[in-house]
Amino acid sequence: MCITRVGRVEAVSGGRARVAFFDGRALDGVDVSVVSPRKGAYVEVFGNLALSILGPAEAKQRREAWETIKKASVPDPFAR
Amino acid sequence: MSSDMNDRGVLFHAKHAFMPNTLGYCGPDERDIIVRHLEGSSGGEDLESMLKRFEAAYPFLRLIARTTGRDPFDFAVPEAYWIGNGLLEKVNAPDFRDFSRMDLPGRDEQEVNRVFKALGPRARPHHTFYVMSTYATASVRDGPNLKNDSRDRIVTAMDSCRVSWGKVTRVGKEKLQVEYSPLVMDQGRLSLGKPKTKSVSYNSRVRPFEGVKLGDPVSIHWDYACDVLSPRQVRNIAKYTLLDIQSVNRLLAKRER
Repeated sequence: MCITRVGRVEAVSGGRARVAFFDGRALDGVDVSVVSPRKGAYVEVFGNLALSILGPAEAKQRREAWETIKKASVPDPFAR
Repeated sequence: MSSDMNDRGVLFHAKHAFMPNTLGYCGPDERDIIVRHLEGSSGGEDLESMLKRFEAAYPFLRLIARTTGRDPFDFAVPEAYWIGNGLLEKVNAPDFRDFSRMDLPGRDEQEVNRVFKALGPRARPHHTFYVMSTYATASVRDGPNLKNDSRDRIVTAMDSCRVSWGKVTRVGKEKLQVEYSPLVMDQGRLSLGKPKTKSVSYNSRVRPFEGVKLGDPVSIHWDYACDVLSPRQVRNIAKYTLLDIQSVNRLLAKRER
């Protein structure tokens, strides 16, 4: 199972990158060869593949959308 | 519903969520909980609690459960999501569309609208559809282009990320060799290619893999053998994977216009 996550590239080497995500986690070895970002760029990642580069404004918007969903997460009717 | 049925569902779900969690793609960093429960063949509140914190998988289970009046960990619910079964037909398109817009982090609302406008009820809350439609459509305006030289990488990523199935052709201590049909792209359309063999990891301490044998059909997620499938499950995963491929090909065709 994967989720589309937005994060910032912390280091790039040979088509792979370390990406720090907005949810506080980071992932090494993200395949960035499809989009070739520079260090500091915002990327959208699904699984271990970076699918796009986002501008700072769009990244901010995505972060806010993410936080809204997390905060407003629908109450779990099955919670015990 | 009996707790046995619930445990079966929790364990089935955990088996399929295990590898992406181990790789750091989804869910909390608590893989040891999954391993302990899978090796002990027992559910438990700590496992359920951990699985509920997966950002996409659990919301999908809740969607299917809500629509069909079941518990999210009722065996048929995770089975519908990962493998496919008749419950998928009961989730109507507007509910799935609203869920995709509001409950799934990271989805672009306009893209979601385009997908549902193009597919209607052909969009199913099946894991393989979720994966392929994410990679294959531009939830990303300047993102992957399945026609350029990125294509092979993207199709390979889709193939690892979907739940596939194969037949065991060799049993090793930590690896199985399986024959399976990979996802391929030809002339801009996805399909299942000719069978080929590949090596996948498995855990022989997880039931029923202690007795896995040649010819057994297994589900595969990120090159990890998750479970041994019944003939009914093999028919279902084949059926729903092919339907998903048809749906995603419709999306790809729309993009070309």
